[in-house]
Amino acid sequence: MLVCRRLLQALGIGSCVALASPALAVPSFARQTGMACAACHTVFPELTPFGREFKLNGYVLDNIRQIKGITVENRETLALNSLPPLSMMLQISYTHTAAALADANVPGALAKDGDVLFPQQASFFYAGKIADGLGAFVQLTYDGVGDSFGFDNTDIRYAKHLDFGGAPGSAHPNVLIGVTVNNGPTVQDVWNTTAAWGFPYSGSSVAPTPITSTKLEAGAGGIGQNAAGIGVYTWINNSIYAEFSIYGAAIRGGNHPLDSTQSNVIHGISPYWRLAYEYRWDRYSMSFGTYGIQAKMHPGSLTGTPTPLAGPTDRYTDTALDFQYQFIGEDHLFTVLATYISEKQKLDASFNDLFVQNSSNDLKSLKLVGEYSYQRTIGGSLGFFNTTGTSDTGLYPSGSGTPLAPLPVSGSATNSPDSRGYVAEVNYLPWLNTKLQLQYVAYDKFNGGKQNYDGAGRNASDNNTLYLLGWVLF
Amino acid sequence: MRLSHFVIALGASMFCAYAQGADVANDAQHTAAKTAAEVCSACHGVNGRSVSPTFPNLAGQTAAYIEIQLKAFKDQSRADPDAQAYMWGMASQLSDGMIGALAAFYAGQPAAPSAKAGDPALVAKGKRVFEEGVPARQIPPCASCHGAHAEGQAIFPRLAGQHAPYLLKQLLVIQNVLRTAPVMHGVIKDLTKDQMQSVVLYLESM
Repeated sequence: MLVCRRLLQALGIGSCVALASPALAVPSFARQTGMACAACHTVFPELTPFGREFKLNGYVLDNIRQIKGITVENRETLALNSLPPLSMMLQISYTHTAAALADANVPGALAKDGDVLFPQQASFFYAGKIADGLGAFVQLTYDGVGDSFGFDNTDIRYAKHLDFGGAPGSAHPNVLIGVTVNNGPTVQDVWNTTAAWGFPYSGSSVAPTPITSTKLEAGAGGIGQNAAGIGVYTWINNSIYAEFSIYGAAIRGGNHPLDSTQSNVIHGISPYWRLAYEYRWDRYSMSFGTYGIQAKMHPGSLTGTPTPLAGPTDRYTDTALDFQYQFIGEDHLFTVLATYISEKQKLDASFNDLFVQNSSNDLKSLKLVGEYSYQRTIGGSLGFFNTTGTSDTGLYPSGSGTPLAPLPVSGSATNSPDSRGYVAEVNYLPWLNTKLQLQYVAYDKFNGGKQNYDGAGRNASDNNTLYLLGWVLF
Repeated sequence: MRLSHFVIALGASMFCAYAQGADVANDAQHTAAKTAAEVCSACHGVNGRSVSPTFPNLAGQTAAYIEIQLKAFKDQSRADPDAQAYMWGMASQLSDGMIGALAAFYAGQPAAPSAKAGDPALVAKGKRVFEEGVPARQIPPCASCHGAHAEGQAIFPRLAGQHAPYLLKQLLVIQNVLRTAPVMHGVIKDLTKDQMQSVVLYLESM
């Protein structure tokens, strides 16, 4: 998403703008493969086992005429789709929060509640084969809140099956190896437990959201798309996945070369790992996995004279466990998703700069989701989320200025990141590429409190959000 | 040229042509096996033994049946929902040679061992339908075309060990004329859903 990814967290200013989860399935692939959405998706964008295979194999399965080039030795030099696998997406949404938000410009006044975004997002995609074994998912998005157009999720990958020789059909391990180049950790992932393609698959981009999240989540603290990565992976016997990637800073806009005016800039190279095991039987599949990243970051400073990025860094180590269960019946489809992320923060740079109270903090996140669909037409989801962490007056400030004035909506009177709540959704898909969604997000705790959590009189439940979405891809 | 030289030259050229033909056939088999392993296996399982009952087992299926079905997917004359959703695209670019090689590959794989016993009463009822038909409704025994052990013959597919939900769905789409199967339309037009359910459980248990 393009909204306010550069976060002011290290400066102690929490983001109050929701980041709608990026999550897409594209008709480009249907055009290329000749297969209906249901082959790869339960209900878009959640992937079926076949959808996971398609992505891991590099988006290259094609069933349309190819423009080919070969050498005299019969080596393929070109295999291009005769028609480009393009598609478009449109999201139109309405957001209503239980209590209106403070007006950004008029102190003490409330802004209009009930926000229509037409569009919330509009995206163009090239998603499909580029050459033999090489494919791409490239998304360009217009963002209705930022009124800007730019790069969104991008994953370019090459994959190849190892050939062990032997007679046709002879028993040998089925080993796929691949390379992915992408613009953010988890964009390359194929299970819907991870952030880039995780639940909720779309959310309001104007409603308040909790003050922080771990680096591997789509919320305010996440690395998001401010990174560029390259990784190698293997997929063995359609069940064992192992990946190792490295990420570096790749921030769009602002000062370049990057300097202290940019916040949360990855220092050097951050290692990212992923291991998963998937077991399939009958109409079921179940996966267990772990993933994580260790990122050293410059907190940056949005004020003062730009200076080179140097000196100590903040070090974040995220370790996650995830679980996914799917049942894909003829009429009934069930999914269970679970993710737990533990983040260790060693904030040497921010501590030296007096941005934070503690030099070390913890942050933990748990998400549990259950989904159901009847004939891929009518369905619903229920999710639970819980973020807990060390209180910190710098990271989660109760106010600003002298004397200290509360930060309405985004502040935390208890200097706590703790937030907990539920997401309930009802979905209706009159066609497989059209989703009408009613979503309600209910907060039991927001930025550390249930009542008057910001010290300005706002309760957690005041941020409860009704979100209506029309989502179409073509 | 002396006759003996001519005969030797002719023999050598015939051998080369044969050897070249054998190479082409081997290449086709190898390509088919590679395609089966890297593409088809995502749904139909390793060597044609599928995990999900949405997708049929292909191991041990008759080559003639697979060939006819792939051609029917390609020309879109087989138009049941799953054919449209999955196989129209997958078969659209297959050459006749590749179709033949894939059919031969799967026909040559050992059939999937049956792991499901099914409800004994229903299986017994299904066995009777399979072996004796339903005379009261003029439904002939399935075994008369599909073989005594449902092993299939030529254009009549192997049914033994096939996933019951897949078979049931095929019976329904054929009965509802969503899938064209000229012989079967007449045979099963009066088969009840209960009879279908019992016979597919019997077949799955074989």
